[in-house]
Amino acid sequence: MTTTRRQLLARAAAGIGLSALGLPLGGLSADEATDWGAAPGALPGLPHFAPKAKRVILLWQGGGASHIDLYDHKPKLDDMRFKDLPDSVRTGARLSSMTAGYKSWPILPAIKPFKAYGQSGTFMSEMLPHIGGMADDICLIRSMQTEAVNHAPGVAFTLTGSQVPGRPSIGAWLTYALGVKAKDLPGYVVMTSTDKGRTCGQLFYEHYWGSGFLPSRFQGVRFRAEGEPVLYLRDPAGIAPPQMRDLLDDISELNHHRFETQGDPEIETRIAQYEMAYQMQSSVPDLLDIDKEPKHVLDLYGPDVQRRGSFAFHCLLARRLAERGVRCVQLMHSGWDQHQNWSTQLEEQCRDTDQPSGGLLQDLKQRGLLEDTLVVWCTEFGRTVFLQGDRNNPKGFGRDHFGRAYSVWMAGGGVKGGHVHGETDEFAYNVVQDHVHVHDLQATIMHLMGIDHTRLTYRYQGRQFRLTDVHGEVVKGILA
Amino acid sequence: MPATASRTMILLVLAALGAAAHASVVTSALDFGRDVRPILSENCFYCHGQDATKRKGKLRLDTLDGQRAKDVVIPGRPDDSLLVKRILTKDADDHMPPLDSNRRLSEEQIQLLRRWIVEGAPFDGHWAYQAPQRPAEPKVKSQGWVRNPIDRFVAAKLDAYGLEPSPEASRETLIRRLSLDLTGLPATPAEIDAFLADTAPDAYDKVVDRLLASPHYGERMALPWLDAARYADSNGFQQDGDTYQWVWRDWVVAAMNADMPFDRFTVEQLAGDLLPDATREQRLATAFIRNSLLNGEGGNIAEEQRYVLLFDRVDTTATNWLGLTMACAQCHDHKYDPITQKDYYSLLAAFNNVPESGTAGYITAKIRSADPLLDMASPSQKASKARLEKELSEAREEMKRQQAAWELRATTGEDAVADGAVLDLLRRCAEQDEKERNEKLRKYFEEKVADRLPGKPAQAVKERENALNALKDDYPMVMVMSDSKPRDSYILNRGNYESPKGKVSIDVPGFLPPLPPEAPRNRLGIARWLVSKEQPLTPRVIVNRMWQTFFGLGLVKTAEDFGVQSEPPLHRELLDWLAVELRDSGWDIKHLQRLIVTSATYRQVSRVTPALLERDPENRLFARAPRFRLPSMLIRDQALAASGLLVRTLGGKPVYPYQPKDIWDSLAITKERDFSYPQSSGPDLYRRSIYTFWRRTVAPADMFDASPRQTCKVRASSTSTPLHALTTLNDPIFVEAARALASRVMALPVHDRLGAAFRMVLARYPDEQESARLERSLAKQLARFQADPRAAEAFLAVGESKRDPALDPVQLAAHAAVCLGILNLDETVSRQ
Repeated sequence: MTTTRRQLLARAAAGIGLSALGLPLGGLSADEATDWGAAPGALPGLPHFAPKAKRVILLWQGGGASHIDLYDHKPKLDDMRFKDLPDSVRTGARLSSMTAGYKSWPILPAIKPFKAYGQSGTFMSEMLPHIGGMADDICLIRSMQTEAVNHAPGVAFTLTGSQVPGRPSIGAWLTYALGVKAKDLPGYVVMTSTDKGRTCGQLFYEHYWGSGFLPSRFQGVRFRAEGEPVLYLRDPAGIAPPQMRDLLDDISELNHHRFETQGDPEIETRIAQYEMAYQMQSSVPDLLDIDKEPKHVLDLYGPDVQRRGSFAFHCLLARRLAERGVRCVQLMHSGWDQHQNWSTQLEEQCRDTDQPSGGLLQDLKQRGLLEDTLVVWCTEFGRTVFLQGDRNNPKGFGRDHFGRAYSVWMAGGGVKGGHVHGETDEFAYNVVQDHVHVHDLQATIMHLMGIDHTRLTYRYQGRQFRLTDVHGEVVKGILA
Repeated sequence: MPATASRTMILLVLAALGAAAHASVVTSALDFGRDVRPILSENCFYCHGQDATKRKGKLRLDTLDGQRAKDVVIPGRPDDSLLVKRILTKDADDHMPPLDSNRRLSEEQIQLLRRWIVEGAPFDGHWAYQAPQRPAEPKVKSQGWVRNPIDRFVAAKLDAYGLEPSPEASRETLIRRLSLDLTGLPATPAEIDAFLADTAPDAYDKVVDRLLASPHYGERMALPWLDAARYADSNGFQQDGDTYQWVWRDWVVAAMNADMPFDRFTVEQLAGDLLPDATREQRLATAFIRNSLLNGEGGNIAEEQRYVLLFDRVDTTATNWLGLTMACAQCHDHKYDPITQKDYYSLLAAFNNVPESGTAGYITAKIRSADPLLDMASPSQKASKARLEKELSEAREEMKRQQAAWELRATTGEDAVADGAVLDLLRRCAEQDEKERNEKLRKYFEEKVADRLPGKPAQAVKERENALNALKDDYPMVMVMSDSKPRDSYILNRGNYESPKGKVSIDVPGFLPPLPPEAPRNRLGIARWLVSKEQPLTPRVIVNRMWQTFFGLGLVKTAEDFGVQSEPPLHRELLDWLAVELRDSGWDIKHLQRLIVTSATYRQVSRVTPALLERDPENRLFARAPRFRLPSMLIRDQALAASGLLVRTLGGKPVYPYQPKDIWDSLAITKERDFSYPQSSGPDLYRRSIYTFWRRTVAPADMFDASPRQTCKVRASSTSTPLHALTTLNDPIFVEAARALASRVMALPVHDRLGAAFRMVLARYPDEQESARLERSLAKQLARFQADPRAAEAFLAVGESKRDPALDPVQLAAHAAVCLGILNLDETVSRQ
């Protein structure tokens, strides 16, 4: 064979694990499911140091989830309903053009009371009993800051490090750097879901899981809720699997024959990829077949788990993907954009997402997977403490976008459980302690995965690019 | 990880060129630009380069003055030169690059720097910033092999590296290669036969001429330009409204077919509107600049978005013509290249006079685009629009008239009004805001009263509004350029639109040849400057991209970057020769392409021998023809053409070929417009891929490795993943093409069928072993379908076109399955 293993790895690997190609994986045996240090396709020298987490599950909460109503407890606001937010507090925040021209800034307290959860007594909304139930495993960051005022730039900024589309997403960086252990699944899987009412005017752009200037095999593969989970996964009508097997064997032999005369190692790569395609035709349906999950496990995720395409269903699949060695699972859920439907939609949104999120943590924990799985609950920005719209119309008012202070949380691999990091002022408007910029969050995720974010770079257009641009500090205060 | 990266780079260079390259480094004199500057640039310029704000110790290494200052580099005396001392020192504080910088020099690099100083530390500006001179054509050993000057440069390098060119490829290979490269479509059996039978010495040239004259040439050559122009059919943000930029796409194809000289092609797209007596087509050409992502999200800050557009225009112009990454200079002076922040904003100023807000405007629920717009409608569309507008205005007048009459009747009680509040309004009982009063009355009248009156005036208005909107959905208004809103331009502190500092005026980067004094200080001046005789970058950048199209990789691999951080080209003389040839030929693109495809270099076989793979795995020396996967658009086009399904109509509105269900809907969480995929039927299913509607937020499902069409991309990625295999195996268009391909050969004698189908795709007959395998494959497929004839029917039913009822379905299905295999061979998806 003229192709060296290294060449083949470099060409074929990474997006998809290689062990399924029947290649010897030097030093790795198939059942070394826990040793991901040198997964197939990893860059030399990576991870930079021992990782605390081997995989990431991103629970993206699209639309801008309100920190004021969910995580940042400000009981004093209850007595200030509709009073004007003091000018001294407001100074300098960049607001969207929907509210920037306001003349008054009536305070809108949290929609529901908060309560203390767990041993740690972390305060969260009573609308989040299941996430709250895992409070002792959760590290809540109340001091997030972003630069974006709008959804698409805000999501892109958090997931790719740049507000303008075109940079690789976190998942692409991770699979590019660390390779993939999964044998017959993509290393980076994305699933999208929407709130039941489809209230939120957002689109899920492919660049949210794009590979930017990295080779396109690192882009996330979206498993779809409609039709085939992976595009073109099913054999053509009338072709039974054994028949396709025959055809693939014929294609493979003809390609081998061609390789003998042409000598191009790309031909061997193509043969391997066709084989992998065949394997995915069974591994993906197997992944989606949740019938064998016991009832007590399904119950963790709530009733929606039975509905294909729901956030709950995706949370369960996230666990199944984690078990199968997938490096990055990115669940994109929308519906948090409560400009006008705060009083009607917010609680419903919590009902749809709280139990699946809490259930996922519990399920991972029961299986011992939470130790080395990093779960990140994240949104593009928070919402204003002041009311947007007509204060006399509770059915039609809400809160506007707000990036100067908001909340996210992490759990599992390497972060402190039952911990709160950072603090805002009494209006949840300005961070007063331990601010965490989006680039800091990214640096921290990379750190937990064993990557020094300043050293993972890719040369493009004559420059070394990295996820965190030239910024980002690991948030030491949340590391376990 | 720059240290690792630079080590990897050296390894790659060594691996790429084998031992001979290394020997040449040791023996021949060092070249500052090729051998030394890359080391300094990668390791030192970040702190000791062009960006004064980041400069440490007041030391710069990117200029001769800087190197000679303070004994930094003393020619002939490496050990006394501060540069070497600081690299070698054991003192952790003094060591360079700093130990915590992640940058480290290898032993080879240190030796190279020493040698350079021993040799007198010659300094030279960056090669790509100096105008190319036509190099002398080298003398070569294999004189007989040479067909044109390209081959001399290639042969000379092969001589130097002790390699031989490969033999000429077979005629079958050549005609397939030429047809795919120049038109993106496979050669037909008749074309292959004609070429094989043509014994004239210019048989090959005749094929080249025919293909260059084909109307499908423009469709093929437009593809990389559309990627560079970030062309799409929607604007890419919330609501992802459609646009009419496709009218510009047709302009590009037509310009390429007409062999428009590249200087004109440039000037019209960047500044056609500013040309004296600009024609409609010249103004249309400027849609190039307006192809950007366009944000219409609620709440966005228009001025911020407007700057996003301006940045994109600078970046696109710089990458596409100059091969420069100017984006760095948006926030600070460039770290590596001599581009200042002032340069950046001086160029930006040229794009800053457009009467635009920065956000997408509302045309209809479906169409969102932004001023300035060019009306490209047909006369009949214009007439319909005028008529509908007139009717609408008449209907509105009629409604007003009826409202006035009703108000009179209602006030006098002649027409009963139950609503007390309305009565109050009518009778002006209380003091009222006049505007509010009118609005409330109007609303009440239209909703409650109008449609029980004769002629149903409200309904009449609504109907005409709907008709007008439906017309507008199809009424091409293309986003183009105009300079009718002059604005002052400023350097923005850290690229922040809210922090302007010094005012700038339109100009070109200071390190490049200046704008001629008589040149207009606007886009037209800039555009002409890009293709001026003095311009060092544009001709090199363009011929490099052309080379990339035919060889898979540019002579400068980083097609997007010709700056000091780019790879010094191994074939710099060839690049410069081609650049000068392009410029001096009057920017004649087809002339250059003809030179390339008629060269002996191009006509070699692509076979990779183990020795070549070892010596030159990336084929940078061209000891063989390249072999690479076809762009996915062309894989689809090839299947359509080979099977006879292809509908060859040129241009027009985008089409919507098969796409799995719900791809659009599931990504769109909006009720403001219908996001269901309006799949075409009939001929539009079988058009070339260039015409497929390109939704910016979700690219066509079966086009893999495509540019995302968001920002300027001048280098396509080509990867190999299982997802691609699934596409070409299972996408209905490939299954339907397989059936159509089989149908084309069923009339032939049994044993000729698969060979003929094979040749329709690959331009050659299968060899004996291949034939045997195809026959065995057929036998297996036949057995399966004979056992289950209903499966055969199901397989043949894929796709909208109908199977030929005269053919035996089981036989046809079995042949179609094998044809699907043929469409999935590595050779099929590759160009060799």
